[in-house]
Amino acid sequence: MKRLTDVMLPIVTLFLFATLWEFGVRWANIPAYTLPAPSVILHSLIVNWTSLAASWWFTLQITFGALLLACSGGILIASVFSLSPALERAFFPIAVVLQVTPIVAVAPLILIYVDSTTAALLLCAWIVAFFPILSNTVTGLRMTDRNLMDLFRLYRASPWQRLKLLRAPSALPYFLAGLKISGGLSLIGAVTAEMVAGAAGRETGLASRILEASFRTETPKMFAALALLVLTGVLIFMLFTALSRVLLAHWHDAEQLTDTGRTL
Amino acid sequence: MRHATAKPLVELSEVSKRFKSGTLALSDISLSVDAGEFVTLLGPSGCGKSTVLRMVAGLDSPSAGSVHAPALTTDKDSTAFVFQEATLMPWASVFDNVWLPLRLQGLSQRESKSRVFAALKSVGLEDFASSFPSQLSGGMRMRASITRALITDPKILLMDEPFGALDDFTRQKLNDDLLRWQQERAVATLFVTHNIAEAVFLSQRVLVMQARPGKIMHTLRINEPYPRTPAFRTSMTFLNYCRELSVALERAMLTETSAQ
Amino acid sequence: MIWRFIQSLMLMVMLSATSHAQQAVTFATNWKAQAAHGGFYQAVADGTYKKFGLDVTIRQGGPQVNNRPLLPARRIDFLMTGNLLHSFDNVKNDIPVIVVAAMFQKDPQALMAHPNQGYENFSALKNAPIALIAKDGQFSWWQWLKVAHGFKDEALRPYNYNLGPFLSQPKSIQQGYSVAEPIYVEQQGKFKPVVHLLSDHGYSTYSTLIETRAETVKNNPDLVQRFVDASIIGWVNFMYGDRTAANARMLKDNPEITVAEIEASVALMKQQGIVDSGDASVDGIGAMKPARIADFYTQMVKAGLYQAKDVDLSKVATTQFVNKQVGVELKKILTKQ
Repeated sequence: MKRLTDVMLPIVTLFLFATLWEFGVRWANIPAYTLPAPSVILHSLIVNWTSLAASWWFTLQITFGALLLACSGGILIASVFSLSPALERAFFPIAVVLQVTPIVAVAPLILIYVDSTTAALLLCAWIVAFFPILSNTVTGLRMTDRNLMDLFRLYRASPWQRLKLLRAPSALPYFLAGLKISGGLSLIGAVTAEMVAGAAGRETGLASRILEASFRTETPKMFAALALLVLTGVLIFMLFTALSRVLLAHWHDAEQLTDTGRTL
Repeated sequence: MRHATAKPLVELSEVSKRFKSGTLALSDISLSVDAGEFVTLLGPSGCGKSTVLRMVAGLDSPSAGSVHAPALTTDKDSTAFVFQEATLMPWASVFDNVWLPLRLQGLSQRESKSRVFAALKSVGLEDFASSFPSQLSGGMRMRASITRALITDPKILLMDEPFGALDDFTRQKLNDDLLRWQQERAVATLFVTHNIAEAVFLSQRVLVMQARPGKIMHTLRINEPYPRTPAFRTSMTFLNYCRELSVALERAMLTETSAQ
Repeated sequence: MIWRFIQSLMLMVMLSATSHAQQAVTFATNWKAQAAHGGFYQAVADGTYKKFGLDVTIRQGGPQVNNRPLLPARRIDFLMTGNLLHSFDNVKNDIPVIVVAAMFQKDPQALMAHPNQGYENFSALKNAPIALIAKDGQFSWWQWLKVAHGFKDEALRPYNYNLGPFLSQPKSIQQGYSVAEPIYVEQQGKFKPVVHLLSDHGYSTYSTLIETRAETVKNNPDLVQRFVDASIIGWVNFMYGDRTAANARMLKDNPEITVAEIEASVALMKQQGIVDSGDASVDGIGAMKPARIADFYTQMVKAGLYQAKDVDLSKVATTQFVNKQVGVELKKILTKQ
């Protein structure tokens, strides 16, 4: 019963909000080209489904592609850093540079140097998504319990055994926390890059649909594409929250339920 | 029992330890532990008892003097360690935690299964093999930790205030259990505590240490034979031993303050 | 004495009356100030708008700026747009704005290529491996080029108003205004690019259109007429008279441009007949013919950009404010000098 309430509450709120919006727009006679009502947006979504779906799929590919690259790169480099403090000191500032680089400024430049637009978009989304995973995984690898490290030393564990059986599981909660952050950032990076720099011909994502609709003053279509983007962000968040729960629930504080049944 | 002719399992000769910060943690420590013997290091906080333990485990090395211990030889599974916190891997089941030392040796799950289950049964945890540490009480976690330590049939068991975080009732029960397991396997034990009653109940010898720098300033031999029953705890002999240790400890603390 | 007093009183009243008649008007352009906006800046700089009782503020556009939504939102009074496709989209989406004048008889939208790369013929452009097209072009006339002239999406690369990629890749082509980009290419790349005007190949839209809200046309036609007339006069003076003040004004708004570039641009505008050719030379700058608008729409329908019934052409433009030979006499005077 409790779970049902948990699920229904946000859905009901959303429904109420949409209803308010619908009637607000109608009552105030706001034209569709300024603020379309949800019914108009839904209609536009259905009418334009083919092109919107294709663009949605492209944006999803870029988002998850960049995320995959960010994970591999982040985990690999974090492992290297944990084995060599000297390398970490040398290269961590470069990683920080990536974090603070404004994609809006850099995307057009990347597009000039990289030939394939898809590769350029992947790169932009990767830049945004990479740092949280790296930073969190580095912290996680460092957070290994001292006594467990001593225990492994006592039993003369090999470096590989130590990595596989001790450091990796220790780092997992931190990595997942980084992943939750990077999931949303990857989407933002993909969309921002495409918005600012544009995309070519057939390989276009939701950002291009938004721009196109904006240029052609088709505001309902613009909102429909935006709605899909928002939905994607929510789904990504839910996906990684569920993943975190599945992997950590049985042992980590972050996923333990308190007495009231709410997650901490 | 002490065999006068056998070579001790562990021997520290005039060991000193100075930390990088310059603090002299241990000064001229000499002690030995025979095979099967139960020895306790008793002292106030900061007297270096844990450092001694770590040196016997090969996790720390002396600044001066020599340490002979099985952990410092090629005998990989000779030494086991039990920490103050149970130090179980929280992401792994009880089974996987107890399996760990065997796994690090290269033994597969299949090969280790019967041994691990037998060990869990002997401590009463066979129903919790698939449970996770977060689902166990403090006492159960500590039992799992000891089971893990004993799974490789070590020659010496090092224990660093293992029952300090538990309530008195659980602590006493685990004291009884520990003696039983220790006697079953005849494993030498070097035990660290600052609890006098526990030291008396468990050990054949108690080495009282003073702090800053750590020195052994009193040795007490406890001649009560094993197995020791709960009745021992309430006997006159027990009280006398406790009193002697109490006095020794007080003297240790005085020496410390006068040395400052 | 008393008469003197009454005279000065009347003078003060008259002065205050005329100062109230200075109506504040905002006009948004579609780019940063450049020669293609010259006539409007002229009318501001030489006081023509003031003479027509208008206090005009010009609001620039730019690479990341889209001024178009400001018009239906009532944040601006008049808007410059680059082609009729915008107007068709507006009417298709029931946005109540309408075109009232067409300052350019030809759209300067063009494609440029490196010389001696085989692009001397327009038909060769569709085979270029790289076509640098900006977002607004990508979603409008590029679609027409694909259908009407066989251009391919595979060649399309985003153009971010940086000449670098075009200059460094000899086989690439790029969009531009025929009266602007070629000048910059010559300056930075030190070569004269091949220029193909889209209007020479069937892209028959008017350009640099003045748009305003339908309600303004209905409720305040006098304001619209004054703005249109003053703008036309501004263009005549800019093209044929002394544009020093206008140039200075444009430099102030857009410091990246130079007087030499503006002058070169004006020369090209004259040479290519962008502003003042065909109907405009007879009916005055800003001239519009409904038949031409209808014809352009038919072509766009053929190119698949619209369906025939999407747009009610009567709502696209009104000719009530133009075709009145405004500025024709002035031009004669200026060019005889």
